[in-house]
Amino acid sequence: MKYGFFLGCNVPAVRPDVERAIRLTMPALGAELVDLEGSVCCPAFGAFPSADETAGLAVSAWNFSIAEEMGVDLVTECGSCYSSLRIARKKLLEDGEKREAVNRLLKPAGKSFSGTVAVRHIIDVLYNDVGTETIRGALKFPLEGVNATVQYPCHTLFPSEIVGFDSPPGRPRMLQELVEALGATVQTYSRELQCCGGAGGFTKGSFAGASEFAFKKLDAMKKETDAELIVVSCITCLEHMDRMQNEMNKKNGDSACAFPVFDYNQLLAVCMGFDPSQVASISTIPRDGLIARITRS
Amino acid sequence: MTDLTNINTALWREITESCGDIRKCFNCNTCVAGCPAAEGSPPLLIRNLVRKVLLGLEEALLEDETPWLCVTCSACEEMCPMGVHPFEVCLAIRRWQSRNDETFIPAAISEIFETGHTQALGQVREKRRAVGLDEVPPTIVKFPELLEKFREMLRNTDIVRDNEYMFKD
Ligand code: SF4
Ligand code: SF4
Repeated sequence: MKYGFFLGCNVPAVRPDVERAIRLTMPALGAELVDLEGSVCCPAFGAFPSADETAGLAVSAWNFSIAEEMGVDLVTECGSCYSSLRIARKKLLEDGEKREAVNRLLKPAGKSFSGTVAVRHIIDVLYNDVGTETIRGALKFPLEGVNATVQYPCHTLFPSEIVGFDSPPGRPRMLQELVEALGATVQTYSRELQCCGGAGGFTKGSFAGASEFAFKKLDAMKKETDAELIVVSCITCLEHMDRMQNEMNKKNGDSACAFPVFDYNQLLAVCMGFDPSQVASISTIPRDGLIARITRS
Repeated sequence: MTDLTNINTALWREITESCGDIRKCFNCNTCVAGCPAAEGSPPLLIRNLVRKVLLGLEEALLEDETPWLCVTCSACEEMCPMGVHPFEVCLAIRRWQSRNDETFIPAAISEIFETGHTQALGQVREKRRAVGLDEVPPTIVKFPELLEKFREMLRNTDIVRDNEYMFKD
């Protein structure tokens, strides 16, 4: 198992502890990661795809050409990168004219797109290639008696024809089973499948509306579960669920909403015994108490 | 009553060039019912945007900022019973707006032109070192000669060629 690790922009800059957790856990579970040297922004939907489609496809194809030369599929944690690259690949494969235009753009840089490599989300790789048995066998600190909720990255669900790997698309279960493999109990709740709302321009363009949207989800989680943490597998979900709890507490003038939020690989890394100060050190809602409990320190 | 004296009858062609066939939209509202950004103020109402395009309401569309609220979740894309591809319509409207009014062109594009990324990956050395990572990630920020080639490529795209002043070396 060998994959090209697609970093994107946010993970390496905003939450490098997630990058560290991925770089430590995946090879330890038999999934070798190689760097895609010279990769660029996926590009984000709000960038080139919102202004010039051919330019956007050329930027995606730049990334594909690196993985194609190395003969590896790309794996990414970021939901937006995953979806943007999957959609771009489909368009490039289906539209010969676009593909030619893009290859003309790439040519002077000595690059080309042929469509020989796939894009995988890290949940897909963890569940289908690594497997929950391997994960169970690698744990130093299983999560006994811990209740969690999961946040499915919307970009890995819809459009299911292009991005889907879980089934049925309307009732995904892989992230839940991965968290259960760590020993935790996953509790579902009414707004579980509501997206986090953090991607795109919603928060920027309509902060009040976007906050209320997130608060509804957090309220439901508080009322309907005894969760002690939220597990995500997307950098946007990670940042947004963390930030919005802070906003909700500011609005209510309390600190009642305080679910620690973990990227799956961060939680996995802590359970595998990797140093929490490297794999889970950056957050708004403190995670230290829970980490200390998990590692019995 | 909607004023139809000043319409662009070819608007739907300009926009649907790169998305689904919006003529199939039968106004069912499914795309709005499941849309996070429909809870914005003002709300993003994809169904209404499709109407604006079909009616050729060019001026109204050029003033409408709601397509930029989209969170890119693609729930509408999954649920639309007519294969209109509402999310693709949303992006296609943004592109049309960007072509017709340069103030719509997202700043993220010039950031990507300048650095290859939407984040300053070269300026987080300490943060990365603290978690045991290489200070500079192995992306294009580490390879200035590649960044030059990347910009060369982008200079040949319409968006950069037509708006040169926005893109600095
Ligand atoms: S992709 Fe955009 S328009 Fe469609 S449901 Fe999601 S936020 Fe709404
Ligand atoms: S879901 Fe599809 S058919 Fe229904 S209103 Fe939206 S775009 Fe039109």
